[in-house]
Amino acid sequence: MKSVSEHHSSENTGRALPLITGNQTFNSVTEAVSRIAERKTTMLWLLTFGVTGSLVLILLGSIGYLVYEGTGIWGINIPVGWGWAIVNFVFWVGIGHAGTLISAILFLFRQKWRTSINRFAEAMTLFAVICALIFPTIHVGRVWLLYWVFPLPNSMNLWPNFKSPLLWDFFAVSIYFTCSLIFWYVGLIPDLATLRDRAQTRIRKVVLGVLSLGWRGGNRQWKNYELAYLVLAGVSTPLVLSVHSIVSTDFAISIVPGWHTTIFPPYFVAGAIFSGFAMVLTLGIIVRKIFHLEDFITIKHLENMNMIMLLTGMMVGYAYGCEFFISWYSGNPYEAFTFVNRAFGPYAWAYWTMVTCNVLVPQVFWIKKWRTSIAVMFVASLLINVGMWFERFVIVMSLARDYLPSSWDYYSPTIWDVLTFIGSFGLFLTLFLLFVRFAPIIAMSEVKGVLPQADPHHREPQTQLERTH
Amino acid sequence: MNDDLKPQSKDYWRSLDELADTPQFREFLHREFPKGTGEELADKNNWSRRNFLTLMGASLAMAGLASCRRPIEKIVPHVVLPEVYEPGTPIHYATSMPFGLDSYGLLVKSNDGRPTKIEGNPEHPSTIGRADIWIQAAILGLYDPDRAKNITHSGKEVAWDDFVADWSTQFTKFSANRGQGLAVMSEQFSSPTLARLKEEFMEAFPSAQFVSYEPVNDETIYDGIEAVAGARLQPLHSLHLAKVILSIDSDFVFSETGHIVDAMGFADGRRVHSQQDEMNRLYAVESAYTLTGSKADHRLALKPSQVGGFVLALARELSSQGLSIGRFDAPSANTADTGIDQKFVNVLAKDLLASKGQNVILAGRRQPAEVHSLVFALNEALGNVGQTVTYIAPLDRSESSTTGLEKLVADMKSGAVETLVVLGGNPVYTVPVEFGFADALKGVANKIQLSSHHDETSALVDWHLHQSHFLESWGDGRSLDGTVSVIQPLIDPLYASVSDVELLALVASGKIVKGYDAVRETWNSFITSDFENQWRKILHDGFVPKSAIGIITPKTNASSLAASARSLASVETGRELELVLLPSNLYDGRYANNGWLQELPEPINKFTWDNFAQFSFRTAQRLGVATGDLVKLEIAGRSINIPAWITPGQANDTIVIALGYGRKNVGSVANDVGSNAYLLTSAKNSGVASVTKIPGTHFIAQTQEHGTMGGFELGDPLQEKQKRPILRENTLSKFRENGLLFPLHPEIPTQQSIYTEPAYTSDLQWGMTIDLNACVGCGACVVACQSENNIPVVGKEQVSKGREMHWIRVDRYYSGDLDTPEIALQPVTCQHCENAPCEPVCPVGATVHDDQGLNVMIYNRCVGTRYCSNNCPYKVRRFNFFNYALEIPETVQMQKNPDVTVRSRGVMEKCTFCIQRIEVTRLKAKLETRNVGGDEVHTACQQACPTDAIVFGNIKDPNSNVARLKKSPRNYQLLEELNTKPRLTYLGLLRNPHPELEMSTES
Repeated sequence: MKSVSEHHSSENTGRALPLITGNQTFNSVTEAVSRIAERKTTMLWLLTFGVTGSLVLILLGSIGYLVYEGTGIWGINIPVGWGWAIVNFVFWVGIGHAGTLISAILFLFRQKWRTSINRFAEAMTLFAVICALIFPTIHVGRVWLLYWVFPLPNSMNLWPNFKSPLLWDFFAVSIYFTCSLIFWYVGLIPDLATLRDRAQTRIRKVVLGVLSLGWRGGNRQWKNYELAYLVLAGVSTPLVLSVHSIVSTDFAISIVPGWHTTIFPPYFVAGAIFSGFAMVLTLGIIVRKIFHLEDFITIKHLENMNMIMLLTGMMVGYAYGCEFFISWYSGNPYEAFTFVNRAFGPYAWAYWTMVTCNVLVPQVFWIKKWRTSIAVMFVASLLINVGMWFERFVIVMSLARDYLPSSWDYYSPTIWDVLTFIGSFGLFLTLFLLFVRFAPIIAMSEVKGVLPQADPHHREPQTQLERTH
Repeated sequence: MNDDLKPQSKDYWRSLDELADTPQFREFLHREFPKGTGEELADKNNWSRRNFLTLMGASLAMAGLASCRRPIEKIVPHVVLPEVYEPGTPIHYATSMPFGLDSYGLLVKSNDGRPTKIEGNPEHPSTIGRADIWIQAAILGLYDPDRAKNITHSGKEVAWDDFVADWSTQFTKFSANRGQGLAVMSEQFSSPTLARLKEEFMEAFPSAQFVSYEPVNDETIYDGIEAVAGARLQPLHSLHLAKVILSIDSDFVFSETGHIVDAMGFADGRRVHSQQDEMNRLYAVESAYTLTGSKADHRLALKPSQVGGFVLALARELSSQGLSIGRFDAPSANTADTGIDQKFVNVLAKDLLASKGQNVILAGRRQPAEVHSLVFALNEALGNVGQTVTYIAPLDRSESSTTGLEKLVADMKSGAVETLVVLGGNPVYTVPVEFGFADALKGVANKIQLSSHHDETSALVDWHLHQSHFLESWGDGRSLDGTVSVIQPLIDPLYASVSDVELLALVASGKIVKGYDAVRETWNSFITSDFENQWRKILHDGFVPKSAIGIITPKTNASSLAASARSLASVETGRELELVLLPSNLYDGRYANNGWLQELPEPINKFTWDNFAQFSFRTAQRLGVATGDLVKLEIAGRSINIPAWITPGQANDTIVIALGYGRKNVGSVANDVGSNAYLLTSAKNSGVASVTKIPGTHFIAQTQEHGTMGGFELGDPLQEKQKRPILRENTLSKFRENGLLFPLHPEIPTQQSIYTEPAYTSDLQWGMTIDLNACVGCGACVVACQSENNIPVVGKEQVSKGREMHWIRVDRYYSGDLDTPEIALQPVTCQHCENAPCEPVCPVGATVHDDQGLNVMIYNRCVGTRYCSNNCPYKVRRFNFFNYALEIPETVQMQKNPDVTVRSRGVMEKCTFCIQRIEVTRLKAKLETRNVGGDEVHTACQQACPTDAIVFGNIKDPNSNVARLKKSPRNYQLLEELNTKPRLTYLGLLRNPHPELEMSTES
């Protein structure tokens, strides 16, 4: 369903759309965003929370049973030592890419349209990385000894093996999570202070008072704050690229045909941005609708994201093609077989699902009408998420047929694989629900910064809009 | 926490209460205190704390004793320690294992009174230090928790004295009537003591019957030889002397009598290490696709009814090419009718004539007597007798006799048998159903059975006596060549059981005779002087050296030969579907409750925990069945439901089924695994079978699902084109021309490692070679490894998920077309790569290299990421997906090798090159201040291998066998192109086709 402003904007053909619509004032922005965090809990929220909370219980139950019984409850075997757990890990880490990309990289590139979506995109990143971290933790055979991968001093002088990409992975993801958390929190401070100032109850006053770290909005505070934010953006930017590059080395370092390729780091990063934006879009469309934020998250924002997905989707498609070409060009019969097997072997259904969702579906965004259609982009974003999950599945399943045909086997998940995955969605959505209930879901201070009245020169709207491009 | 116990018990006993309440503990209490304590437990109101403590104390003391079972006489510590005995140090004892008419000389390792591992006795001619799957798995049979544990009468537990008292009244009765109405049915044996007791029995009861029967027997071989040579002679083969070997439906490398020695001799003729070396040529004519067929240079798949025609055709061809076969007068039969490849026969005859005196024809036990008569005559005419085949007149035997059995069953039915003693064996399960043994048993008033398990027969008998395992009883045996061996116990009977010797002695004499005394009494006749010292030496050696029976040179009776030939010519060959029953990994079913053998993949088709009705591809197509479909097989009114399986290369229009499955109420392992093919057996002929597809599919557990080296299905044109250089093979003639093994990888670039490679400075650098020419794929290495390295049995479901735990496996690859594919076999275990891909990827460094070139796995350090396994191109690593060790029964725990860790769940494991054996040898050498010999360490797989295909040793010692073999032109690395530098290398496979036949197959 289109709001009035969208109708209005689509009539404005040929002109760039305004970032924030509805003639917002500083106060109306504050009101619109703060109201969501301050109003009474709605029935809808409680119902949804009940559903996602149940899924969290399923996740906890599945993990408990896994720890009690052993990884044998999953479908993994020899040769397929990694199954859904690792697929899910890469899937969630990938989703966790968009937030930091939006907040850090787009910030550095002065893409002001980011301000409406960066807050919940970052939150989504954190929650996705939390979900991601669950999987490598629980997938090991002896969870209770996993701390051995930490470089802890011990009397045996035993160190972890720094050659292992799993160790790099551990460092990369945990650093990424830490930086993303700090970045998100620093961005929250002025808005938390706003909420603190509006707080009615004692508890809110104390909690928000502590969380807002004494923010008063003074000039010096703003000066230091913006510098700190810039520095954090600078620190986070390489991490966006590094974390999925490192995750890709989990595969690329090995000698498994289909894993052992140098294209993996850029291919994984592109895929991660692709899937991350798809997830931001999915959530953004829902949040926008439910909380009536059409003036803040305008069709322009969504269209921009669609264009990024079109770009990264084609990068991913290029990587698929490139893999095929190289497997033939290398003259390596094992590689060649692996890729023929992907397209025509027992997992061909997964491969073609992936190609359809990731390469064909984003092509609809060439057409402006579809690119700006909420229904089209919502369905597309869901399909892209499915496709990106299958991409990781297809990659991991290279294990099923490697060098010696004698040890080939077929992998199929068990109910526990499925429940754990569904449960991780439950955790993700639960955390997201808590976020939309209690935190300012749009960066008020930043949005105010891109309102026309924030511009001291107070130019005409068109001119101000042109600057954003 | 048991609520009933709460009020009586104080807080500080809470943990013991909990302990007492576990089901295992309750079960234990019931077992240890069968009557009194059970009642006390049931009546919980009577529990006082004092009672409870008394019980607990006693139970814990008993638990302590039960875990270190030793002979009672030795439970007092040695005041003066025997010279050889050190606590913790294993001792090897020589003994032997009775197996049909053979007796295998063994060395058994005993750890502090527990036998833990069986090896062949290197001095003994029946094993020459090697083993087969059944020898290796026998140790598990000893500790089988499902063994019968007491004597029962009509299902109720009774004492041995009750049986003895009952028998003494019977003995008096039968002594009076010369044994009228008394019958003994035994398994076949070759044992001086049992033979003596049988004689005593027949003397005491001249009118009694004594019948031996086993379902897998060599009756037709002896019948055939008797028909033409006039005596039931035992043929012995010296295959190492043969240049040309013709196997007529004889799986002599795996399941025929004497297969260990025959496999060894066969492999000895195939050790080609230079381009000049000679190699034998094997022709195989068979219906099923057996391991022998897989080793054949030329294989002809024929229906069972065509095999006789083939032998006749061969004899005719030989005689037309100038061989005089006595006064053999070949009846003319048209070979075109029987569908035999005339070219094959022609070339084979030429080859046999060219190698007179240096070839051998072996016929298998499934062939009728007439074939064996003809084979006997052919071997004689070809000058092989005395060379590659010799004959002895066996002694002390009781051969299986189907005619004897038939008479016994008839007598049972008519009520002429009053008392039947089943001395081992399970006739209700194994006797052909048409005899109606189970019904006949109803006509017998008093039925006594001695068997290790409560089996199908036990349910129908009055007295059931639990039989001792050969590792816990005294006895003796003669090997095929007549060598006399002693069976000495390594442990007191676990369940105070009765041995066959003891029962037969009681039956024959009416007195209780200890097995030890019975054997010594027999051996008084072998040992002429200085009995005690000689006896001690024999116990040490395990057998009497040079006690083989002298060979004789029999002559063919020409007229009986002609009769045999005529009878063969009259066999109908037009039958539609013929049944072939094979002994399986479970042999005839006696090892059905052995988890190691159930989980050992069937050697050709690689299925586990199952048997199938196997069809050739074409026959399956014609019948419209596929692997996994359920079918109903019907022969002469008898029928079974069984899943179907397609075995490429099997003779068309045959149904092959493995025996030994479909057991009921025998044990937790054997019950309801597979289908009982005995229900189709008939003593006369296999009859016409009909196959009907019935609804449903079968759950399959297979260890190898892909059969070809290209990864494509057999018959796919891409398969030959995209063959991977995994199992390299060439023909002997081409190898002689260019010294190469094919297919070679097109190009293997010079590769470098990005990591510094270790220097491997130690003087000991371990390596292994596996000779694919010698390997016959029997699986002895797999079971030996399982026994040595405490490898768990995971069960059918886990195997079907791809989680079998075997550290060594035998890969099978098909090549060629669907009708006549070739099979190549390749044992694969950890390659101990110098550049091991598993090592750098482990985040905690749980798998690393030691300075002796071993890729070692540190279980303690492993967190279980499974990345090492993903990155292993050979996929030899095994993961403990569950805590398999928790499921090891209490008795089986006694089998575990104390030198090898039992792995917990979540831990990766793999072949260690038997590092525990390396360490023991190194320590020994260190104490003796000397260097470890290059060939001094034997891995378990190597030691068990009947063909010496596996050689292990120090590759840095240029004189070691392994170092010399690695210089062979056949030596190659598996997946060499990956630059893993494996320490395990393979000696490529050579085939030796006859030039004329090779041409015809190529064109």
